[in-house]
Amino acid sequence: MQYPGPIAAIEVIGLERRFKGAVKAVAGIDLEVAAGEVYGFLGPNGAGKTTTVRMLVTLLRPTGGQALVAGFDVATQPADVRRRIGVALQEAALDPLMTGSELIELQATLHGIAPRTVRARGAELIERVGLSQAAGRRVGTYSGGMRRRLDLAMALIHEPEVLFLDEPTTGLDPTSRLTLWEEVRRLRDEGTTVFLTTQYLEEADQLADRLGIIAAGRIVATGTPAALKAEVGRPHLDLVLAPGTDLRRAHEVVTRFGDHRPVADGCHLSIEIARGAGDIAPILRALDDADVAVAELELRQPTLDDVFLAKTGEHLEGSGNPHSEAAAELV
Amino acid sequence: MSGDLRTIRALMGRGLNEILRVPGGAIPGVLAPTIFMLGLSAAFGKAAALPNFTADDFRTFIVPVGMLQGAGFTGAATGVNLARDIEQGWFDRLMLAPARRSVLLAGVVASACLRCLLPATFLLVVAFSLGVDWPGVGALALGALLIMGLAAAAACYATVLALRFRTQQAAPLMQVGTFVAILFTTAYVPRELLSDWLRAIADLNPVTHVLEGVRQGFIGDVTWAQTWPALVALAGLVGLFGALAVRGMRRQGR
Ligand SMILES: Nc1ncnc2c1ncn2[C@@H]1O[C@H](COP(=O)(O)OP(=O)(O)OP(=O)(O)O)[C@@H](O)[C@H]1O
Ligand SMILES: [Mg+2]
Repeated sequence: MQYPGPIAAIEVIGLERRFKGAVKAVAGIDLEVAAGEVYGFLGPNGAGKTTTVRMLVTLLRPTGGQALVAGFDVATQPADVRRRIGVALQEAALDPLMTGSELIELQATLHGIAPRTVRARGAELIERVGLSQAAGRRVGTYSGGMRRRLDLAMALIHEPEVLFLDEPTTGLDPTSRLTLWEEVRRLRDEGTTVFLTTQYLEEADQLADRLGIIAAGRIVATGTPAALKAEVGRPHLDLVLAPGTDLRRAHEVVTRFGDHRPVADGCHLSIEIARGAGDIAPILRALDDADVAVAELELRQPTLDDVFLAKTGEHLEGSGNPHSEAAAELV
Repeated sequence: MSGDLRTIRALMGRGLNEILRVPGGAIPGVLAPTIFMLGLSAAFGKAAALPNFTADDFRTFIVPVGMLQGAGFTGAATGVNLARDIEQGWFDRLMLAPARRSVLLAGVVASACLRCLLPATFLLVVAFSLGVDWPGVGALALGALLIMGLAAAAACYATVLALRFRTQQAAPLMQVGTFVAILFTTAYVPRELLSDWLRAIADLNPVTHVLEGVRQGFIGDVTWAQTWPALVALAGLVGLFGALAVRGMRRQGR
C-alpha cells in the first residue's frame, strides 16, 4: 500500500526558460523540495540560478515545463503563489530615500497586513534582524549587510510558507554571513521551507538539507551534501613538488598507490587513497627513494567541489590552476 | 478602508516622498510651466490683439495651457521614475505583491495626480499676481480635477512605455508624447485662427476638450456643455492607457 508523502513545497517538472536570441538559460530541470527543508541550489555564475528563482516566484514566465510552489502553479495561479512566498532577490531592491521602518511598513501594507498590526509587526522583524538602532535612518546610509538583513525582514513580513533567497550572502563579510546562516537555521526550525541559491560550497554544505547542483542550465546532481560527497569518492592526497622535480617520475611513483585524479588548484599531483592518513607514510617513503622532493602535501576529504568536478569536469570555485596543464599532459 | 485603498495610499506616499526628500528635485518641474507662460506671453503677447482672438490678454489664454503642461510633465516623470524602479529592481517588489495589477497601477499613478497640483499652484500664484483675471473658485476646482485626470492619463501612457522599454532611456518618448498631445490642440491660438489641417487635428485630439474644459472661467463662464466633453475625453484617455498599462504589467516576465 502506498502512503502519500509529505506535500512538496516546490515541485518542478521540465522547467525551461529561453531568452530571445540566447540559448536556454534553464534547460529543463526537475526538482522537488519537501515542506520544511532547506534546499540549496548551488552553481557558478551564469548557471541559471536567478532565472530559476525568478520563474518560481512568478516574476518570469517559463517557456516550458511546470512549477508548483506551495501547491499552486506559478504560471496560472501567480496570485496564490505570491501570497505564500517570501522573496529576497540577488540585488536587494530598497528605496534609498525611505527609512528602514517606512520600508518594512510599506511592505507590510503591500502584503495585506492588518493596519493595526503593521507597526508592531514591522518593529518585531526589524528587531529580529538586529536593525532596531538603524530603523529610523534612511536606507541610503545602510551598509551592504544591513540592506540584506532588511531585505530578509521584508521577505518575512507575511510569514511566508516558502522563502526564496537568491545568493543571500554574496558580498557579505564572514560575520554577517554567519548571522544570516543562523537566521536561516532558525527559520527552518520554525517550519519555513527555504530555497537558497549560492555559489559558495561551504554555504551549501553548512546550510542545505538537500542540494541541487546546477551548471549551464541543467541540474547535474541532487542529494544531501553527505551523500553527494560520498558518491564521488574516497579521500585523496594533494601534492606540491619542490621546484625542478621530475614530474613524470613522481607520477610513476604515486600511481602505484592509487588512481591519479584531476588536480585541484595550485598542486601538481592528486591521488585517491583507500585508507586515508595511513597511506601517507609509504607514499612519502617511496617518493623519497625515487629522489622526488615534496614541498607540500595535504590529505583531503571529498568536497562539494569534487562533486561538481566529477559531474561537470570543472571546478566551481577559483579560476586558474597554474599546475594543471603540466599535470594534464601526464594523465 | 479596504486593503486595495491602503495599498494605493502606501504607494502614493512613496511617490510623494521623492519630491519631499530629493533636495531641489521638484524645482525644475514646478517652475517649467511658469517660465513657459512668462516666455510665451513675452514673445507672443501681441497676438491677443489679432481679430478673432478669443481672449483680451494672451496670459489669460495661456495659463490653462501651462496647467496642462505641468500635468503632462508630471505624468511623464511618473513613467521615468517607474523605468528607474524597473532598472533598480524595486518594481520586482511591487510585482511580488499579491494585489491585483490594476491596484498597483493605481498606486503608481495616484501620486502623479497629486504632484501635478504643485506646478499648477505655483503657476497660478504667479499669474494672478501679474494680473491674470480670477476665474472663480468653481472654475479652479474643475480645472484642478481635469488636470489631475490628465496627469493620470499621461502617467498611464508613460507607464506603458516604461513597461515596454524597461529603461530610463525611454524618457524622451514619454515627454515628447505628452508634449505633442498638448501642442496639437487649441493651446496656442484659438480654433478659428488655426490653419485647416491643424484645426482638423485639434478637433480630433481629445486633449483639446480637456484644455477647453480647463479654460472655462479664464475665458467665458463654466458651462456643462464645455465640461462634459472634457470629462468624456479624460475617461477615454485614462481608460485606454490604463488598460494598456495593466496589460503591460500582466505581461511582465514573458
Ligand atoms: N534577460 C535575459 N536575457 C538574455 N539572457 C539572460 C537574461 N537573464 C539571464 N540571461 C542569461 O541566462 C544565463 C543564466 O543567468 P542567471 O542570472 O540565471 O545565472 P545565475 O546562476 O543566477 O548567475 P550569478 O551567480 O551570476 O547570479 C546567463 O547566461 C545569462 O546571461
Ligand atoms: Mg544570479
